Amino acid sequence: MRVLVVEDSSRLQRALGTALRKSGYAVDTAGDGTEGLWLAESHDYDVIVLDLMLPRRDGLSVLAELRRKGKSTHVLLLTARDTVADRVEGLQAGADDYLVKPFSLDELLARVQALCRRAYGTKQPRLAIADMEIDPLARRVQRAGRPIELTAREYLLLEYLARREGQVVSRTEIEEHIYDGQIDRMSNVVDSAICGLRKKLGSAPLIHTRRGLGYVLEADPYSARP
Amino acid sequence: MKSIRRRLTRELLGVSLVLLGGGWIAFFLSARAELIEQFDITLRARALTLTALTVREGGRLRIEAADRLAREYGSARPRDFFEIWQDPGTPALRSDSLGGADLVPPGGLPDRHAAWDVDLPRGRPGRAISVNFKPRPIGNDRGQAAGGEVMLVVAGDRDGLDEALDELLGIAAIGGILLLAAILIGVPRVLRRGLRPLDRMAEQVSGIRADSLAARLSVADLPTELLPIADRLNDLLARLESSFDRERRFSADLAHELRTPIAEIRSLAECALKWPEARDPSTDRDVLASALHMESMVAQLLALARGEQRQMSAQRIEFRLDALVLATWEPFLSRAAERGLTPHFEMPPAPVAADPLLVRSILRNLFDNAVDYSPAGGEIRASIDFPGGATRLRISNPVETLDAGDVAQLFDRFWRKEAARSGQQHLGLGLPLARTFAEAMGWSLAAALEPHPLRLVFTLANSR
Repeated sequence: MRVLVVEDSSRLQRALGTALRKSGYAVDTAGDGTEGLWLAESHDYDVIVLDLMLPRRDGLSVLAELRRKGKSTHVLLLTARDTVADRVEGLQAGADDYLVKPFSLDELLARVQALCRRAYGTKQPRLAIADMEIDPLARRVQRAGRPIELTAREYLLLEYLARREGQVVSRTEIEEHIYDGQIDRMSNVVDSAICGLRKKLGSAPLIHTRRGLGYVLEADPYSARP
Repeated sequence: MKSIRRRLTRELLGVSLVLLGGGWIAFFLSARAELIEQFDITLRARALTLTALTVREGGRLRIEAADRLAREYGSARPRDFFEIWQDPGTPALRSDSLGGADLVPPGGLPDRHAAWDVDLPRGRPGRAISVNFKPRPIGNDRGQAAGGEVMLVVAGDRDGLDEALDELLGIAAIGGILLLAAILIGVPRVLRRGLRPLDRMAEQVSGIRADSLAARLSVADLPTELLPIADRLNDLLARLESSFDRERRFSADLAHELRTPIAEIRSLAECALKWPEARDPSTDRDVLASALHMESMVAQLLALARGEQRQMSAQRIEFRLDALVLATWEPFLSRAAERGLTPHFEMPPAPVAADPLLVRSILRNLFDNAVDYSPAGGEIRASIDFPGGATRLRISNPVETLDAGDVAQLFDRFWRKEAARSGQQHLGLGLPLARTFAEAMGWSLAAALEPHPLRLVFTLANSR
């Protein structure tokens, strides 16, 4: 999952970036509204954490511009303004959620996660595919009742594929959503990660390669036939 | 609770009732006196006729053409009466209508002309007048020395008079009652109508609350007596609204200024607890920076509060303002050079007596703003002059986006042109603090815009 944090306080930006990365998100940051808008328009984020009072261009204007251009990325407004009128104004401008500073980091992470779930059209906290079960809250994966140890990045990749179960996910999409867009497009980082994940998930493959298109996570389509 | 309407109603009703009662009594008494006077005039006219007809003949008194008077004074219809007294106690003539009775007032016969109420025969009430005259001598008495005066008493039945008086009393009573009712109904109504603008104003004023200070009293159709009150109240409301807005803005700004560093510290701490391996010296530096930022804010707010409560003591030391300006500017030289800013100072010797520490703080603040907010390549000017014997320091820098409205808010706590309030070097407390310092020394600090090219000018001046 890829998250954009637009926050002018450099210290808060760093803290949020660290927390989100440690939670397995790919994170981009921007320190003002103009840069934030440019990033939001240029990339396909799952969630944007947007401060309201930003230099150069305020958060509401960024949000309005995004909505005007048809960007439906889920936006969590983060602000020190806490009146009902402020919240209503933010939500009416197209925000999906609103969090007042100071906030609990766990709450912010939970809200970001909830917005990610909404981004993939599910409200189920647990994901189950064949005999594999993913618990995003606890970040635990088990298959046939056997826990599987994954790195944060591997977990994120698996959850991303699982949320798009049955859909072909391109390498570019994986790079965009999992790797901050910082990796060399010509490298085989994604292929290596998929390979490592397949090994950890064991036999009865769940991740299938669609040559020239990307990967799809689903129960073996052939074994599912009668 | 005192009510103007109730008091006015009570007092107006009281005054009206006193006036009504007095007027009613005066009217009744004067009308009654007039009726009695008219009755007496009639009696006098009759008396005049009788004196003309009364003659003395052979030492005796007689009425000429008595038969012509028999109808009026006869016994058949006893309504009019007369009696002539030749000597006190000796009636010489009387009308038949008296039937032998006398027309004597209770205190005896008067000496001269008089009028009185009298009891007529058969116990009827009457009114009598007396006149003295000398009867005309006829016959043998003609040519003799005129006899003495006699007294004629003429009386009339006052049934008609009493009926007229009763009727008058009735009319006056009914009129009085109607007038009283009109006053009792009319006075409160008139007062209610007259005080309606006051009621409307009271209603509008009572509807004003802390959250509706934008409301203004309507002055349309307001009487001239209330206009000054409404105008003053509207002025007061405008000032209150502005003051409340400023306080609200201050609270919101303070909340924002404090929430952000608190959020920073909390997030950094939670991050460090959750992922201890992610904690590095930069985390601690960030926490420290946030804490120092809050500390600085609290220190400035406290200084501001002390200054506003007149708890700040300013020393009075003689020093050279020009030297202090140059010394204070020195640390800003490198920052100014980085931004391509050129200083242009005109500093004649300017000895002043003030608190050099406070003046230095003011100057540092003004230079800090000038260096940070001037467009790159601009010129920062400082000059001292002595208008009217006072010492005036002017520090100015070019600006791009300020307008007159902004200048009016420059000294508001936490006011910053940039709505985002980004960057933590400036809190928006420096200028209000600088003004507080200036006022603590008895100096003034003002800001103004100079056009073409647009420059922001701060003027720090002492009194002469």
